[in-house]
Amino acid sequence: MRGLRERVDRLLERVLATLMALMVINVCWQVVTRFILRQPSSFTEEAARFLLIWVGLLGASYALGQRMHLAIDVLARWKPSWRPGLRITSLAVTATFALLVLGVGGARLVLLTLELGQTSAALGWSLGYVYLALPLSGLLMTFYALSELSEPAQ
Amino acid sequence: MVDLASVGVLGGVFLVVMALGAPIAIAVGTAATATLLLGGSPLPVVTTISQRVATALDSFSLLAIPLFILSGQLMNRGGAARRLLEFGKALVGALPGGLVLVNIVGCLLFGAISGSAVATAAAIGGFMIPLMEEEGYGRDYGTAVNITASTTGLLIPPSNILIVYSLASGGVSIAALFLAGYLPGLLVGACVASAAVVLARIRGLEVARIPWNTGATLRSGIAALPSLLLVVVVMGGIIGGVFTATEAAGVAVVYALLLSLLVYREISVRELPAILVEASATTGVVLILVGASMALSWVMAFENIPQGVAELMLSLAAGPIAVLLVMNVVLLAVGTFMDMTPAVLIFTPIFLPVAIEMGVDPVHFGVIMVLNLCVGLCTPPVGTVLFVGCGVGETTLSRVLPSLLPLYAAMLVALVLVMSLPELSLWLPRTFGFLP
Repeated sequence: MRGLRERVDRLLERVLATLMALMVINVCWQVVTRFILRQPSSFTEEAARFLLIWVGLLGASYALGQRMHLAIDVLARWKPSWRPGLRITSLAVTATFALLVLGVGGARLVLLTLELGQTSAALGWSLGYVYLALPLSGLLMTFYALSELSEPAQ
Repeated sequence: MVDLASVGVLGGVFLVVMALGAPIAIAVGTAATATLLLGGSPLPVVTTISQRVATALDSFSLLAIPLFILSGQLMNRGGAARRLLEFGKALVGALPGGLVLVNIVGCLLFGAISGSAVATAAAIGGFMIPLMEEEGYGRDYGTAVNITASTTGLLIPPSNILIVYSLASGGVSIAALFLAGYLPGLLVGACVASAAVVLARIRGLEVARIPWNTGATLRSGIAALPSLLLVVVVMGGIIGGVFTATEAAGVAVVYALLLSLLVYREISVRELPAILVEASATTGVVLILVGASMALSWVMAFENIPQGVAELMLSLAAGPIAVLLVMNVVLLAVGTFMDMTPAVLIFTPIFLPVAIEMGVDPVHFGVIMVLNLCVGLCTPPVGTVLFVGCGVGETTLSRVLPSLLPLYAAMLVALVLVMSLPELSLWLPRTFGFLP
């Protein structure tokens, strides 16, 4: 499990660094086309928004693996003996939400959107593929929550 | 009509999941899903929530947030914090208040390039708290000053939370909000500084001053100038209508990159992938909160909760001051246990229509709300800046709290002033033509 998690981490890091760099280039290209070429590029704004969805959801998944999300441990500090139980319950809730809402709900959204054949205004991309970030992040978050569960508490 | 069962499920699920210690975004998302499940079948409900999360993130204004996070991290690693502090030290170290003022001015300057209170608390606190301890102020006092002063970065532009408010309010101008934040941000700094100096006097702490040195001031000023120029480029561009906040954030990234790679030379190209990953993870933390909170806000609108609250508040037939006061008390209470981003996204749609009805300008209301929730960032049980500040200061909450209490009072004084003097927020945006 640990080896697999390391591999997922490294892969996500590569993807995130690339998406983030693309996002910066994209916004800067928009500035350049507006000022220097005097012809605003219509596709950069849309591409940047779609990149944001991917960076946001994949970044949130990676952050879950890195335990970076904001959470409060008031109860665990108040009753230290509850800590193991709280940890298992909160990870189980996280995994359930990620799997059922982002995973199943997201997958259904992708299928529905593909079925309706919705495309984006400027780029003509199929919105179903843009929404693919939802089920993907759902699966990644479930994976991180479960791998955390399988490890002994610190 | 508001269904009380759904309000109960919404609040109950949120509090229980959060108390378990799950990520706050998960608690918000679970509450939204559970509430909708009361009246709908599971498959459409999870699809709707998922769709709300995705459409919330599909926004060009929000794009400014990851870019400002990235430029802030580049500036931080690139050595801007240290240079800004050196300049602050030379500039105000000789005034009564000495290092206390240096800490606060450092937070104001760093807040102007980073837009995040947590980053400011970590960057400035890391330098200033040990220095203040060395000068005999004590670690706990230094930490308390650093924590409260860091929140000024949320009002002084560029500010990610004001972008979030613009989104929640349905499109209040980001440029107007950014300009509106300056004076209230400075006011909070001034109030915290006064209280801190008085507190130091009462405790008999020796307020050490650094002798004025024109040469050192000029040298440190020149070293800090490229960092400060970033503010001029970003804010000048936004105010002058040259670019949008998002485009300005993109320009800020390029500027910060060139500055730290070529001018300050404190980071190398090899470190860039790691910085990009860190920025994207921080972005993920913020954006999943935005997505989940927007989903919850949508569910609340679906359940007619904002209308219910509005009717209730307007039926009290109280004056604008009383209504604003009630809202502020609610927000102060909410701020103690809820993080700022979900609080802004969830409570803006509920309170803003009532505030507008009462004749409060949406820009003014945004500043009040952010300043109010800044207090919550410094208070237990949930205070992000408080925890980061205590971590950087290597001290504990119970030791910092005695020094924090008078500083909370100073922040509340600033809040009352900002609330009762609308011109404090509205004068600058009006002068530059962003408000009628």
